[in-house]
Amino acid sequence: MIHFHNVSKHYDNQTALRNINFSIEKGEMVFITGPSGSGKTTLLKLIYLAEKPDEGNISIAGWETNQLRESSIPFLRRNIGVVFQDYRLLSNRNIFENVAIALMIRGVNDKEVKTRVLDSLKTVNLRHRVNSYPKALSGGEQQRIVIARAIVAEPTVVLADEPTGNLDPDTAAGIIRLFKEINLKGITIIVATHNRELFRNTCKRVIRLDNGNLVGEEVG
Amino acid sequence: MAAPYAFRFAFQSVLREKWINLLSTLTIATGLLIITFAVFSVYNIDAATKKLPEKFFMMLYLEDNLHGQGLENVINTLRKDNAVETVRYISREDALKELKGTLKDANYVLEGLGENPLPDSIELKLKKEAVSPETAKRLATDAKKIKGVNEVEYGEKFLSSIHSIKVGLKIIVLTLIIITSAGIIFVCYSTVKILFYRRTDEIETYKLLGATRGFVRAPFIIEGALIGTAGGLLSLIGIISFYYMVLLKLSLTIPLFKAILFPTNIFLLLPVTGLFLGITGATIALGRLRF
Repeated sequence: MIHFHNVSKHYDNQTALRNINFSIEKGEMVFITGPSGSGKTTLLKLIYLAEKPDEGNISIAGWETNQLRESSIPFLRRNIGVVFQDYRLLSNRNIFENVAIALMIRGVNDKEVKTRVLDSLKTVNLRHRVNSYPKALSGGEQQRIVIARAIVAEPTVVLADEPTGNLDPDTAAGIIRLFKEINLKGITIIVATHNRELFRNTCKRVIRLDNGNLVGEEVG
Repeated sequence: MAAPYAFRFAFQSVLREKWINLLSTLTIATGLLIITFAVFSVYNIDAATKKLPEKFFMMLYLEDNLHGQGLENVINTLRKDNAVETVRYISREDALKELKGTLKDANYVLEGLGENPLPDSIELKLKKEAVSPETAKRLATDAKKIKGVNEVEYGEKFLSSIHSIKVGLKIIVLTLIIITSAGIIFVCYSTVKILFYRRTDEIETYKLLGATRGFVRAPFIIEGALIGTAGGLLSLIGIISFYYMVLLKLSLTIPLFKAILFPTNIFLLLPVTGLFLGITGATIALGRLRF
């Protein structure tokens, strides 16, 4: 599903990722962990093509990203749901519109948008907040809206960058439970986090990064 | 399938950014109104001068006692010229009769005259398309060379000054249209650019969620088209109001204003012109942005 082959990424004179090799299979749930600045966010950005590797190849669902034309990038991104570290919710749009935008971009008709958005909000237990605006929601609720937006278009893979960064332990545990439920539907989940508590006892695969190097793998 | 969303986003943006859009619309309307007044003036001047060829005659005064073959030669030579529509011979007797007819009640001014002082003459009417200072001058020069023609008269200065005014005015108006149109395009360009920069974060999010360039660009193009069309409609309302509230009222007291023509068909093009200029401005703005 996702293959990194000798991937390196540099920013100016700094190496963000060095010679990374790994594969993630369809339906897996994987945690990427490491201290701040270890390259977790860069790794996710390479997957959703916000960045390009300086060396090596990345293959996602059969697409070789370094051979991809600029105009094809949006179509690859439509297979990926992203839970951004800074949420990226649109403050001038209500919750319904924030989630619906992922479907509108794909040209889904109004009727179907309505059904799927409400289903998605039901999954994250926020259907009652459909007319609220992001500012009116708590951090945990905002995070769940972002998850609803990430899954509404039924992507093959969901990426989450520090999805529990600003949340209290109970809310954070709830978010991870939610990811597990989504994963049970066959969707590949990749969660980048520095918080080791999140994957302890999950029995899920953990990839450890340190200073841009892949330093090991374990089972949580 | 994403097209309805592009329209929806564009309308939402027009409402959300109402002040900047209103300002742009008013600026566009003012620009189009300037163009409209310029076109209105040229249209009326053109219409007035279009009647000029029908009233334009060239008079050829002939030598005394030119009759028979000599006169026929003059008439035939003139008829061969492509610029000539009709050739009318006026004998000195007929000329005096016409003069008396023109003077009517002031006939007494001719009473002191013993002999008829008027010469035989030929009245030339030029073809409509040939009435220009250059053709008239050429024809007058050629006519003077014909044996038997004494003098040629055609109001050279009047014709050339009318022609110069017409050409000059057209150049001024054309320049005004080009500059104002460029100004309108710049207003749309700037508006779309500002709106784009105000939504940079939103656009970045769309892109990361899988939006194509078309999905991002379409609402801006539509927004440019909307403010352009709205500006066109406002200027149309402006010119119609000017006609009914100013010109028509003035024509009731000043008869000269009755002669002014109102080219409705041309003015109905104003919203279309606004639409075109709006789309052009928006397209240029988006073309220069990297996203």
